[in-house]
Amino acid sequence: MKILIIEDEIELAKSMGTYLSDESYLCEYAANYAEALERIDLFEYDCILLDLMLPGGDGFQILEELKRQKKNDGVIIISAKNSMDDKINGLRIGADDYLAKPFHLPELAARVYSIIRRKSFGSTNVIEQNEIRVDVLGKAVTVEGKQMVLTKKEFDLLMYFIVNKNRVISKAALAEHLSGDVAALFDSYDFVYSHIKNLKRKLNDAGVGHYLKTMYGSGYKWEI
Amino acid sequence: MSKLLNYSLKRIVICAAAVLVCVIPIYYVALSRLWQYELDEHNVIITPEAGREDKLLIIGAVTLLSALFFAVLLLALILVNRILSRGMWRPFYQTLQQIRQFDLENPDNIQFDKTNIAEFDELNESLRKLLQANIAAYNQQKEFADNASHELQTPLAIAQSKLELLSQSKALDNEEYSLIEAAQSALTRAGRINKNLLLLTKIENKQFADKEVIGLRELLNELCVQFSPFFEEKGSELKVTINAEPTVNGNKILLEILIGNLITNAIRHTLLPGNIYVTLAAGRLTVSNPGAESLNKAQLFKRFASASHNLPGTGLGLAIVKQIVMRYQWNVDYDFAEGYHHFILCFSKLKEVTAQ
Repeated sequence: MKILIIEDEIELAKSMGTYLSDESYLCEYAANYAEALERIDLFEYDCILLDLMLPGGDGFQILEELKRQKKNDGVIIISAKNSMDDKINGLRIGADDYLAKPFHLPELAARVYSIIRRKSFGSTNVIEQNEIRVDVLGKAVTVEGKQMVLTKKEFDLLMYFIVNKNRVISKAALAEHLSGDVAALFDSYDFVYSHIKNLKRKLNDAGVGHYLKTMYGSGYKWEI
Repeated sequence: MSKLLNYSLKRIVICAAAVLVCVIPIYYVALSRLWQYELDEHNVIITPEAGREDKLLIIGAVTLLSALFFAVLLLALILVNRILSRGMWRPFYQTLQQIRQFDLENPDNIQFDKTNIAEFDELNESLRKLLQANIAAYNQQKEFADNASHELQTPLAIAQSKLELLSQSKALDNEEYSLIEAAQSALTRAGRINKNLLLLTKIENKQFADKEVIGLRELLNELCVQFSPFFEEKGSELKVTINAEPTVNGNKILLEILIGNLITNAIRHTLLPGNIYVTLAAGRLTVSNPGAESLNKAQLFKRFASASHNLPGTGLGLAIVKQIVMRYQWNVDYDFAEGYHHFILCFSKLKEVTAQ
Protein backbone atom coordinates (compact mmCIF):
# COMPACT_ATOMS: atom_id res chain seq x y z
CA MET A 1 0.00 0.00 0.00
CA LYS A 2 1.47 3.32 -1.03
CA ILE A 3 0.56 6.64 0.46
CA LEU A 4 1.63 10.05 -0.86
CA ILE A 5 1.82 12.85 1.70
CA ILE A 6 1.58 16.27 0.02
CA GLU A 7 2.39 18.74 2.79
CA ASP A 8 4.79 21.66 2.87
CA GLU A 9 5.34 21.49 6.63
CA ILE A 10 8.08 18.90 6.74
CA GLU A 11 7.71 18.22 10.46
CA LEU A 12 4.01 17.47 10.12
CA ALA A 13 4.61 15.32 7.05
CA LYS A 14 7.27 13.38 8.98
CA SER A 15 4.92 12.80 11.92
CA MET A 16 2.18 11.52 9.64
CA GLY A 17 4.66 9.33 7.80
CA THR A 18 6.13 7.91 11.00
CA TYR A 19 2.71 7.09 12.41
CA LEU A 20 1.40 5.57 9.19
CA SER A 21 4.52 3.60 8.27
CA ASP A 22 4.07 0.02 9.24
CA GLU A 23 4.38 -3.26 7.40
CA SER A 24 1.51 -2.48 5.05
CA TYR A 25 2.05 1.24 4.33
CA LEU A 26 4.86 2.85 2.39
CA CYS A 27 4.90 6.63 2.62
CA GLU A 28 6.28 9.06 0.07
CA TYR A 29 6.44 12.83 0.38
CA ALA A 30 5.92 15.89 -1.79
CA ALA A 31 6.59 19.32 -0.28
CA ASN A 32 5.41 21.58 -3.08
CA TYR A 33 3.07 21.81 -6.03
CA ALA A 34 5.53 20.84 -8.77
CA GLU A 35 6.86 17.87 -6.81
CA ALA A 36 3.33 16.69 -6.12
CA LEU A 37 2.34 16.87 -9.79
CA GLU A 38 5.47 14.96 -10.81
CA ARG A 39 4.82 12.15 -8.36
CA ILE A 40 1.20 11.90 -9.37
CA ASP A 41 2.19 11.67 -13.03
CA LEU A 42 4.74 8.93 -12.41
CA PHE A 43 3.17 6.73 -9.77
CA GLU A 44 -0.08 5.29 -8.56
CA TYR A 45 -0.99 5.65 -4.91
CA ASP A 46 -3.59 3.95 -2.78
CA CYS A 47 -4.15 7.11 -0.82
CA ILE A 48 -3.04 10.72 -1.17
CA LEU A 49 -3.01 13.09 1.79
CA LEU A 50 -3.39 16.53 0.29
CA ASP A 51 -2.73 19.89 1.96
CA LEU A 52 -4.69 22.68 0.28
CA MET A 53 -2.22 25.56 0.61
CA LEU A 54 1.02 24.61 -1.07
CA PRO A 55 4.03 26.57 -2.25
CA GLY A 56 3.64 27.01 -6.00
CA GLY A 57 -0.02 26.16 -6.32
CA ASP A 58 -3.36 25.27 -4.88
CA GLY A 59 -4.26 21.81 -3.63
CA PHE A 60 -7.54 21.99 -5.52
CA GLN A 61 -5.58 22.15 -8.80
CA ILE A 62 -3.84 18.89 -7.91
CA LEU A 63 -7.23 17.37 -7.23
CA GLU A 64 -8.48 18.55 -10.60
CA GLU A 65 -5.38 17.19 -12.32
CA LEU A 66 -5.99 13.79 -10.70
CA LYS A 67 -9.56 13.75 -11.96
CA ARG A 68 -8.42 14.88 -15.42
CA GLN A 69 -6.03 11.96 -15.60
CA LYS A 70 -8.88 9.72 -14.44
CA LYS A 71 -6.75 8.32 -11.64
CA ASN A 72 -8.36 6.20 -9.01
CA ASP A 73 -6.21 7.27 -6.05
CA GLY A 74 -8.11 7.93 -2.86
CA VAL A 75 -7.66 11.51 -1.66
CA ILE A 76 -7.99 12.91 1.85
CA ILE A 77 -7.78 16.69 2.05
CA ILE A 78 -5.89 17.87 5.10
CA SER A 79 -6.38 21.56 5.57
CA ALA A 80 -6.02 24.26 8.16
CA LYS A 81 -9.12 25.92 6.81
CA ASN A 82 -12.01 24.28 8.52
CA SER A 83 -14.51 26.06 6.35
CA MET A 84 -17.62 24.50 4.97
CA ASP A 85 -16.97 25.96 1.49
CA ASP A 86 -13.61 24.24 1.21
CA LYS A 87 -15.07 20.98 2.43
CA ILE A 88 -17.91 21.03 -0.06
CA ASN A 89 -15.67 22.22 -2.85
CA GLY A 90 -13.07 19.53 -2.18
CA LEU A 91 -15.59 16.71 -1.96
CA ARG A 92 -17.33 17.99 -5.10
CA ILE A 93 -14.12 17.97 -7.15
CA GLY A 94 -13.57 14.40 -6.05
CA ALA A 95 -11.77 14.12 -2.74
CA ASP A 96 -12.91 11.19 -0.61
CA ASP A 97 -12.55 12.75 2.80
CA TYR A 98 -11.64 15.96 4.63
CA LEU A 99 -9.66 16.33 7.83
CA ALA A 100 -9.14 19.71 9.49
CA LYS A 101 -5.92 20.61 11.29
CA PRO A 102 -5.07 20.01 14.06
CA PHE A 103 -6.06 16.36 13.97
CA HIS A 104 -5.17 13.24 15.93
CA LEU A 105 -2.88 10.79 14.21
CA PRO A 106 -5.07 7.78 15.12
CA GLU A 107 -7.95 9.59 13.41
CA LEU A 108 -5.82 10.06 10.30
CA ALA A 109 -4.89 6.37 10.34
CA ALA A 110 -8.57 5.41 10.65
CA ARG A 111 -9.57 7.59 7.68
CA VAL A 112 -6.69 6.32 5.51
CA TYR A 113 -7.57 2.77 6.40
CA SER A 114 -11.22 3.15 5.54
CA ILE A 115 -10.42 4.75 2.17
CA ILE A 116 -7.90 2.12 1.19
CA ARG A 117 -10.26 -0.67 2.18
CA ARG A 118 -13.12 0.89 0.26
CA LYS A 119 -10.99 1.31 -2.85
CA SER A 120 -9.17 -2.02 -2.84
CA PHE A 121 -11.48 -4.57 -1.34
CA GLY A 122 -14.82 -3.59 -2.75
CA SER A 123 -17.70 -5.51 -1.32
CA THR A 124 -15.72 -8.21 0.47
CA ASN A 125 -14.46 -6.06 3.25
CA VAL A 126 -13.53 -8.29 6.12
CA ILE A 127 -10.76 -7.87 8.68
CA GLU A 128 -9.51 -10.78 10.71
CA GLN A 129 -7.40 -10.39 13.82
CA ASN A 130 -6.79 -13.58 15.75
CA GLU A 131 -10.24 -14.84 16.79
CA ILE A 132 -12.10 -11.64 15.82
CA ARG A 133 -13.68 -11.25 12.39
CA VAL A 134 -15.08 -7.86 11.43
CA ASP A 135 -17.31 -7.31 8.41
CA VAL A 136 -16.64 -3.61 7.85
CA LEU A 137 -19.50 -2.98 5.44
CA GLY A 138 -22.08 -5.04 7.28
CA LYS A 139 -20.83 -3.62 10.58
CA ALA A 140 -20.91 -7.08 12.14
CA VAL A 141 -18.37 -8.66 14.48
CA THR A 142 -18.06 -12.39 14.95
CA VAL A 143 -15.87 -14.26 17.42
CA GLU A 144 -15.22 -17.90 16.47
CA GLY A 145 -18.37 -17.92 14.38
CA LYS A 146 -20.55 -16.35 17.06
CA GLN A 147 -22.07 -12.93 16.40
CA MET A 148 -21.31 -10.15 18.88
CA VAL A 149 -23.98 -7.53 19.49
CA LEU A 150 -22.38 -4.08 19.60
CA THR A 151 -23.89 -0.60 19.57
CA LYS A 152 -22.80 1.74 16.79
CA LYS A 153 -20.44 3.59 19.12
CA GLU A 154 -18.90 0.37 20.38
CA PHE A 155 -18.38 -0.83 16.82
CA ASP A 156 -16.74 2.49 15.92
CA LEU A 157 -14.46 2.17 18.94
CA LEU A 158 -13.48 -1.38 18.08
CA MET A 159 -12.67 -0.41 14.49
CA TYR A 160 -10.61 2.53 15.73
CA PHE A 161 -8.57 0.24 17.98
CA ILE A 162 -8.10 -2.41 15.32
CA VAL A 163 -6.86 0.17 12.80
CA ASN A 164 -4.49 1.67 15.37
CA LYS A 165 -3.38 -1.65 16.84
CA ASN A 166 -0.38 -1.62 19.16
CA ARG A 167 -0.55 2.14 19.62
CA VAL A 168 -1.47 4.24 22.61
CA ILE A 169 -4.59 6.29 21.94
CA SER A 170 -5.47 9.16 24.24
CA LYS A 171 -8.94 9.72 25.62
CA ALA A 172 -9.09 13.04 23.78
CA ALA A 173 -8.55 11.33 20.43
CA LEU A 174 -11.21 8.73 21.27
CA ALA A 175 -13.69 11.39 22.37
CA GLU A 176 -13.26 13.35 19.19
CA HIS A 177 -13.56 10.26 17.07
CA LEU A 178 -16.78 9.21 18.80
CA SER A 179 -18.65 12.47 18.76
CA GLY A 180 -16.86 14.82 16.43
CA ASP A 181 -17.14 18.51 17.13
CA VAL A 182 -19.47 18.11 20.11
CA ALA A 183 -16.70 16.42 22.08
CA ALA A 184 -14.55 19.47 21.54
CA LEU A 185 -17.03 21.47 23.60
CA PHE A 186 -16.38 19.49 26.74
CA ASP A 187 -13.40 18.87 28.87
CA SER A 188 -14.47 15.70 30.55
CA TYR A 189 -14.07 12.47 28.70
CA ASP A 190 -16.02 10.32 31.13
CA PHE A 191 -18.40 9.18 28.43
CA VAL A 192 -15.47 7.62 26.59
CA TYR A 193 -14.68 5.61 29.67
CA SER A 194 -18.18 4.16 29.89
CA HIS A 195 -18.19 3.11 26.23
CA ILE A 196 -14.81 1.46 26.71
CA LYS A 197 -16.07 -0.31 29.83
CA ASN A 198 -19.06 -1.72 27.92
CA LEU A 199 -16.90 -2.78 24.99
CA LYS A 200 -14.42 -4.49 27.31
CA ARG A 201 -17.22 -6.37 29.04
CA LYS A 202 -18.74 -7.55 25.75
CA LEU A 203 -15.36 -8.66 24.39
CA ASN A 204 -14.69 -10.53 27.60
CA ASP A 205 -18.13 -12.21 27.53
CA ALA A 206 -17.53 -13.30 23.93
CA GLY A 207 -14.25 -14.92 24.94
CA VAL A 208 -11.90 -12.52 23.20
CA GLY A 209 -8.39 -12.31 24.61
CA HIS A 210 -7.36 -9.39 26.79
CA TYR A 211 -6.23 -7.14 23.94
CA LEU A 212 -7.72 -3.84 25.05
CA LYS A 213 -5.40 -2.40 27.65
CA THR A 214 -5.57 0.71 29.75
CA MET A 215 -2.35 2.70 29.65
CA TYR A 216 -1.54 4.76 32.72
CA GLY A 217 -5.18 5.57 33.26
CA SER A 218 -5.46 8.13 30.50
CA GLY A 219 -4.94 6.21 27.28
CA TYR A 220 -5.83 2.88 25.72
CA LYS A 221 -4.05 0.36 23.55
CA TRP A 222 -5.20 -2.57 21.41
CA GLU A 223 -2.35 -5.01 21.77
CA ILE A 224 -2.13 -7.89 19.32
CA MET B 1 -33.34 69.00 12.27
CA SER B 2 -33.56 71.25 9.25
CA LYS B 3 -32.52 70.48 5.73
CA LEU B 4 -29.60 72.28 4.18
CA LEU B 5 -31.87 73.79 1.48
CA ASN B 6 -34.19 75.32 4.09
CA TYR B 7 -31.37 76.43 6.35
CA SER B 8 -30.39 79.51 4.30
CA LEU B 9 -34.01 80.26 3.42
CA LYS B 10 -35.01 80.55 7.06
CA ARG B 11 -32.27 83.07 7.71
CA ILE B 12 -33.22 85.08 4.65
CA VAL B 13 -36.83 85.32 5.84
CA ILE B 14 -35.74 86.41 9.31
CA CYS B 15 -33.37 88.96 7.80
CA ALA B 16 -36.11 90.34 5.53
CA ALA B 17 -38.51 90.63 8.50
CA ALA B 18 -35.90 92.55 10.49
CA VAL B 19 -35.32 94.89 7.57
CA LEU B 20 -39.07 95.48 7.35
CA VAL B 21 -39.35 96.29 11.07
CA CYS B 22 -36.45 98.75 10.84
CA VAL B 23 -37.67 100.32 7.64
CA ILE B 24 -41.21 101.24 8.79
CA PRO B 25 -40.21 103.94 11.40
CA ILE B 26 -37.57 105.36 9.05
CA TYR B 27 -40.13 105.66 6.26
CA TYR B 28 -42.61 107.12 8.69
CA VAL B 29 -40.24 109.73 10.13
CA ALA B 30 -38.93 110.66 6.69
CA LEU B 31 -42.40 111.02 5.18
CA SER B 32 -43.84 113.03 8.15
CA ARG B 33 -40.85 115.39 8.00
CA LEU B 34 -41.29 115.82 4.26
CA TRP B 35 -45.01 116.45 4.67
CA GLN B 36 -44.48 118.96 7.51
CA TYR B 37 -41.87 120.75 5.41
CA GLU B 38 -44.25 120.97 2.44
CA LEU B 39 -47.05 122.35 4.68
CA ASP B 40 -44.76 124.99 6.16
CA GLU B 41 -43.40 125.94 2.75
CA HIS B 42 -46.88 126.64 1.36
CA ASN B 43 -48.25 128.05 4.64
CA VAL B 44 -51.00 125.48 4.80
CA ILE B 45 -52.66 125.23 8.16
CA ILE B 46 -54.75 122.23 9.00
CA THR B 47 -56.80 121.43 12.03
CA PRO B 48 -55.30 118.96 14.55
CA GLU B 49 -58.10 116.45 13.65
CA ALA B 50 -57.15 116.58 9.97
CA GLY B 51 -53.48 116.26 10.97
CA ARG B 52 -54.16 113.09 12.99
CA GLU B 53 -56.25 111.63 10.16
CA ASP B 54 -53.50 112.25 7.63
CA LYS B 55 -50.90 110.80 10.02
CA LEU B 56 -52.90 107.52 10.25
CA LEU B 57 -53.22 107.46 6.48
CA ILE B 58 -49.51 107.88 6.07
CA ILE B 59 -48.74 105.10 8.59
CA GLY B 60 -51.19 102.79 6.81
CA ALA B 61 -49.85 103.59 3.35
CA VAL B 62 -46.23 103.20 4.46
CA THR B 63 -46.89 99.90 6.18
CA LEU B 64 -48.78 98.56 3.21
CA LEU B 65 -46.11 99.63 0.75
CA SER B 66 -43.33 98.20 2.89
CA ALA B 67 -45.22 94.92 3.28
CA LEU B 68 -45.72 94.75 -0.47
CA PHE B 69 -42.06 95.33 -1.22
CA PHE B 70 -41.16 92.87 1.48
CA ALA B 71 -43.37 90.21 -0.11
CA VAL B 72 -41.91 90.81 -3.57
CA LEU B 73 -38.39 90.81 -2.21
CA LEU B 74 -39.01 87.63 -0.26
CA LEU B 75 -40.49 85.84 -3.24
CA ALA B 76 -37.55 86.81 -5.39
CA LEU B 77 -35.11 85.70 -2.69
CA ILE B 78 -36.81 82.34 -2.24
CA LEU B 79 -36.79 81.74 -5.96
CA VAL B 80 -33.15 82.67 -6.40
CA ASN B 81 -32.16 80.68 -3.34
CA ARG B 82 -33.97 77.60 -4.57
CA ILE B 83 -32.48 77.72 -8.03
CA LEU B 84 -29.00 78.43 -6.71
CA SER B 85 -29.09 75.85 -3.93
CA ARG B 86 -30.43 73.13 -6.16
CA GLY B 87 -27.55 73.51 -8.53
CA MET B 88 -25.00 74.13 -5.84
CA TRP B 89 -25.85 71.18 -3.61
CA ARG B 90 -26.51 68.62 -6.35
CA PRO B 91 -23.00 67.12 -6.11
CA PHE B 92 -23.42 66.86 -2.35
CA TYR B 93 -26.61 64.83 -2.66
CA GLN B 94 -25.03 62.66 -5.32
CA THR B 95 -22.14 61.92 -3.00
CA LEU B 96 -24.54 61.19 -0.17
CA GLN B 97 -26.45 58.75 -2.36
CA GLN B 98 -23.22 57.00 -3.30
CA ILE B 99 -22.16 56.60 0.31
CA ARG B 100 -25.56 55.26 1.24
CA GLN B 101 -25.25 52.57 -1.40
CA PHE B 102 -21.75 51.65 -0.33
CA ASP B 103 -21.30 48.03 0.65
CA LEU B 104 -18.03 46.64 1.99
CA GLU B 105 -18.81 43.28 0.45
CA ASN B 106 -19.06 44.88 -2.96
CA PRO B 107 -16.80 47.95 -2.96
CA ASP B 108 -16.63 48.48 -6.72
CA ASN B 109 -20.04 50.08 -7.10
CA ILE B 110 -18.93 53.42 -5.67
CA GLN B 111 -17.98 56.10 -8.19
CA PHE B 112 -17.71 59.83 -7.41
CA ASP B 113 -18.28 62.07 -10.46
CA LYS B 114 -16.27 65.20 -11.15
CA THR B 115 -18.23 68.23 -9.88
CA ASN B 116 -16.12 71.25 -11.02
CA ILE B 117 -16.58 72.72 -7.54
CA ALA B 118 -13.32 72.70 -5.62
CA GLU B 119 -14.84 71.99 -2.18
CA PHE B 120 -16.93 69.07 -3.35
CA ASP B 121 -14.11 67.57 -5.37
CA GLU B 122 -11.98 67.81 -2.28
CA LEU B 123 -14.69 66.18 -0.18
CA ASN B 124 -15.12 63.37 -2.70
CA GLU B 125 -11.40 62.82 -2.87
CA SER B 126 -11.15 62.60 0.92
CA LEU B 127 -14.10 60.22 1.04
CA ARG B 128 -12.56 58.08 -1.66
CA LYS B 129 -9.33 57.86 0.32
CA LEU B 130 -11.20 57.07 3.53
CA LEU B 131 -13.25 54.35 1.88
CA GLN B 132 -10.21 52.87 0.21
CA ALA B 133 -8.45 52.67 3.55
CA ASN B 134 -11.53 50.93 4.95
CA ILE B 135 -11.72 48.49 2.08
CA ALA B 136 -8.03 47.71 2.49
CA ALA B 137 -8.44 47.16 6.23
CA TYR B 138 -11.47 44.96 5.64
CA ASN B 139 -9.68 42.86 3.04
CA GLN B 140 -6.72 42.55 5.31
CA GLN B 141 -8.92 41.33 8.13
CA LYS B 142 -10.59 38.83 5.84
CA GLU B 143 -7.23 37.61 4.68
CA PHE B 144 -6.16 37.35 8.30
CA ALA B 145 -9.07 35.04 9.01
CA ASP B 146 -7.82 32.74 6.30
CA ASN B 147 -4.13 33.02 7.00
CA ALA B 148 -4.31 32.93 10.77
CA SER B 149 -5.99 29.56 10.61
CA HIS B 150 -3.27 28.24 8.37
CA GLU B 151 -0.46 29.83 10.30
CA LEU B 152 -1.65 28.70 13.72
CA GLN B 153 -3.40 25.42 13.03
CA THR B 154 -0.35 23.99 11.33
CA PRO B 155 2.07 24.46 14.23
CA LEU B 156 -0.67 23.18 16.55
CA ALA B 157 -1.04 20.12 14.32
CA ILE B 158 2.72 19.58 14.37
CA ALA B 159 2.93 19.85 18.17
CA GLN B 160 -0.05 17.53 18.62
CA SER B 161 1.33 14.92 16.22
CA LYS B 162 4.76 15.00 17.88
CA LEU B 163 3.18 14.47 21.29
CA GLU B 164 1.14 11.60 19.92
CA LEU B 165 4.28 10.00 18.48
CA LEU B 166 6.06 10.55 21.79
CA SER B 167 3.25 8.81 23.64
CA GLN B 168 3.86 5.70 21.50
CA SER B 169 7.31 5.37 22.99
CA LYS B 170 7.76 2.11 24.90
CA ALA B 171 10.01 3.55 27.59
CA LEU B 172 7.46 5.96 29.07
CA ASP B 173 6.39 5.64 32.65
CA ASN B 174 3.22 6.79 34.28
CA GLU B 175 4.50 10.23 35.23
CA GLU B 176 5.93 10.98 31.78
CA TYR B 177 2.75 9.88 30.14
CA SER B 178 0.66 12.16 32.32
CA LEU B 179 2.96 15.07 31.39
CA ILE B 180 2.34 14.37 27.71
CA GLU B 181 -1.38 14.08 28.37
CA ALA B 182 -1.43 17.47 30.15
CA ALA B 183 0.49 19.12 27.29
CA GLN B 184 -1.94 17.56 24.83
CA SER B 185 -4.99 18.85 26.63
CA ALA B 186 -3.53 22.39 26.73
CA LEU B 187 -2.86 22.13 23.00
CA THR B 188 -6.38 20.95 22.34
CA ARG B 189 -7.65 23.98 24.24
CA ALA B 190 -5.41 26.35 22.28
CA GLY B 191 -6.69 24.80 19.07
CA ARG B 192 -10.27 25.28 20.20
CA ILE B 193 -9.72 28.93 21.15
CA ASN B 194 -8.12 29.52 17.77
CA LYS B 195 -11.02 27.91 15.96
CA ASN B 196 -13.54 29.97 17.93
CA LEU B 197 -11.68 33.23 17.33
CA LEU B 198 -11.66 32.49 13.63
CA LEU B 199 -15.36 31.75 13.77
CA LEU B 200 -15.95 35.11 15.47
CA THR B 201 -13.96 36.94 12.79
CA LYS B 202 -15.87 35.14 10.10
CA ILE B 203 -19.23 36.09 11.57
CA GLU B 204 -18.07 39.70 11.95
CA ASN B 205 -16.92 39.70 8.34
CA LYS B 206 -20.29 38.27 7.33
CA GLN B 207 -18.62 35.38 5.59
CA PHE B 208 -21.64 33.17 6.01
CA ALA B 209 -24.21 32.80 3.28
CA ASP B 210 -27.70 33.56 4.44
CA LYS B 211 -31.35 33.07 3.82
CA GLU B 212 -32.45 29.60 4.46
CA VAL B 213 -35.69 28.77 6.19
CA ILE B 214 -34.91 26.62 9.19
CA GLY B 215 -37.46 24.75 11.29
CA LEU B 216 -36.43 25.16 14.92
CA ARG B 217 -38.14 21.96 16.03
CA GLU B 218 -36.04 19.83 13.67
CA LEU B 219 -32.90 21.71 14.60
CA LEU B 220 -33.52 21.18 18.32
CA ASN B 221 -34.16 17.49 17.80
CA GLU B 222 -30.87 17.15 15.90
CA LEU B 223 -29.01 18.93 18.69
CA CYS B 224 -30.63 16.70 21.32
CA VAL B 225 -29.28 13.63 19.54
CA GLN B 226 -25.82 15.19 19.38
CA PHE B 227 -25.79 16.07 23.05
CA SER B 228 -27.48 12.95 24.41
CA PRO B 229 -24.25 11.02 25.21
CA PHE B 230 -23.23 13.72 27.69
CA PHE B 231 -26.55 13.71 29.45
CA GLU B 232 -26.76 9.93 29.59
CA GLU B 233 -23.37 9.78 31.27
CA LYS B 234 -24.22 12.36 33.92
CA GLY B 235 -27.61 10.90 34.76
CA SER B 236 -29.34 14.16 33.95
CA GLU B 237 -31.67 15.15 31.17
CA LEU B 238 -32.16 17.74 28.49
CA LYS B 239 -35.87 18.53 28.71
CA VAL B 240 -37.27 20.15 25.61
CA THR B 241 -40.72 21.73 25.58
CA ILE B 242 -42.02 22.84 22.23
CA ASN B 243 -45.05 25.16 22.32
CA ALA B 244 -44.87 26.43 18.77
CA GLU B 245 -43.47 25.56 15.38
CA PRO B 246 -41.40 28.61 14.56
CA THR B 247 -39.17 28.87 11.53
CA VAL B 248 -36.40 31.43 11.18
CA ASN B 249 -34.42 32.82 8.29
CA GLY B 250 -30.69 32.38 8.56
CA ASN B 251 -27.67 30.20 8.13
CA LYS B 252 -28.12 26.71 9.51
CA ILE B 253 -24.55 26.26 10.68
CA LEU B 254 -24.65 29.56 12.56
CA LEU B 255 -27.96 28.70 14.16
CA GLU B 256 -26.63 25.30 15.25
CA ILE B 257 -23.60 27.00 16.77
CA LEU B 258 -25.84 29.55 18.48
CA ILE B 259 -28.17 27.09 20.18
CA GLY B 260 -25.38 24.55 20.70
CA ASN B 261 -23.31 27.15 22.54
CA LEU B 262 -26.22 28.05 24.81
CA ILE B 263 -26.79 24.39 25.69
CA THR B 264 -23.06 23.76 26.14
CA ASN B 265 -22.85 26.77 28.38
CA ALA B 266 -25.76 25.45 30.44
CA ILE B 267 -24.14 22.03 30.78
CA ARG B 268 -20.77 23.51 31.63
CA HIS B 269 -22.15 25.63 34.44
CA THR B 270 -24.52 23.10 35.99
CA LEU B 271 -23.44 20.84 38.78
CA LEU B 272 -24.64 17.60 37.24
CA PRO B 273 -26.89 15.74 37.71
CA GLY B 274 -29.28 18.63 37.15
CA ASN B 275 -31.78 18.93 34.38
CA ILE B 276 -31.46 21.52 31.64
CA TYR B 277 -34.65 22.90 30.16
CA VAL B 278 -35.10 24.20 26.65
CA THR B 279 -38.42 25.89 25.91
CA LEU B 280 -39.42 26.86 22.43
CA ALA B 281 -42.29 29.31 22.03
CA ALA B 282 -43.32 31.55 19.16
CA GLY B 283 -40.33 33.76 18.39
CA ARG B 284 -38.35 32.85 21.48
CA LEU B 285 -36.19 30.09 22.83
CA THR B 286 -35.24 29.78 26.49
CA VAL B 287 -32.40 27.67 27.85
CA SER B 288 -32.53 27.24 31.62
CA ASN B 289 -30.18 25.52 34.02
CA PRO B 290 -29.97 25.42 37.83
CA GLY B 291 -27.49 27.80 39.42
CA ALA B 292 -26.60 29.26 42.80
CA GLU B 293 -26.52 32.98 42.15
CA SER B 294 -27.10 35.55 39.44
CA LEU B 295 -24.30 36.14 36.95
CA ASN B 296 -22.83 39.49 36.00
CA LYS B 297 -25.00 40.51 33.07
CA ALA B 298 -22.67 43.25 31.84
CA GLN B 299 -19.68 40.91 31.49
CA LEU B 300 -21.54 37.83 30.33
CA PHE B 301 -21.32 38.20 26.58
CA LYS B 302 -17.82 39.68 26.43
CA ARG B 303 -14.86 37.82 25.04
CA PHE B 304 -12.85 35.81 27.56
CA ALA B 305 -15.01 37.21 30.38
CA SER B 306 -16.07 33.82 31.74
CA ALA B 307 -12.83 31.91 31.22
CA SER B 308 -11.52 30.69 34.55
CA HIS B 309 -9.17 28.05 35.80
CA ASN B 310 -11.96 26.03 37.35
CA LEU B 311 -13.95 25.83 34.16
CA PRO B 312 -11.47 25.73 31.34
CA GLY B 313 -13.75 26.71 28.48
CA THR B 314 -12.56 28.91 25.67
CA GLY B 315 -14.36 31.95 27.10
CA LEU B 316 -15.74 32.63 23.66
CA GLY B 317 -18.97 30.64 23.56
CA LEU B 318 -21.28 33.45 24.66
CA ALA B 319 -19.34 36.07 22.67
CA ILE B 320 -20.08 33.97 19.60
CA VAL B 321 -23.74 33.77 20.65
CA LYS B 322 -23.86 37.56 20.91
CA GLN B 323 -22.17 38.03 17.55
CA ILE B 324 -24.57 35.70 15.75
CA VAL B 325 -27.56 37.34 17.41
CA MET B 326 -26.31 40.79 16.35
CA ARG B 327 -25.74 39.54 12.84
CA TYR B 328 -29.43 38.72 12.48
CA GLN B 329 -30.68 41.63 14.60
CA TRP B 330 -32.17 39.24 17.10
CA ASN B 331 -31.85 39.64 20.82
CA VAL B 332 -30.38 37.57 23.64
CA ASP B 333 -31.01 38.25 27.29
CA TYR B 334 -30.08 36.75 30.62
CA ASP B 335 -32.25 36.39 33.67
CA PHE B 336 -31.91 34.71 37.04
CA ALA B 337 -35.06 33.52 38.79
CA GLU B 338 -35.85 30.93 41.48
CA GLY B 339 -32.51 29.19 41.33
CA TYR B 340 -32.34 29.01 37.56
CA HIS B 341 -30.25 30.81 34.97
CA HIS B 342 -32.36 31.66 31.94
CA PHE B 343 -30.91 32.57 28.59
CA ILE B 344 -33.67 33.99 26.43
CA LEU B 345 -33.21 34.18 22.70
CA CYS B 346 -35.71 36.34 20.80
CA PHE B 347 -35.71 35.71 17.10
CA SER B 348 -37.34 38.98 16.25
CA LYS B 349 -37.29 42.27 18.16
CA LEU B 350 -40.70 43.20 16.75
CA LYS B 351 -42.38 40.08 18.02
CA GLU B 352 -41.01 40.67 21.47
CA VAL B 353 -42.58 44.12 21.59
CA THR B 354 -45.99 42.86 20.56
CA ALA B 355 -45.84 40.03 23.08
CA GLN B 356 -45.37 42.37 26.02
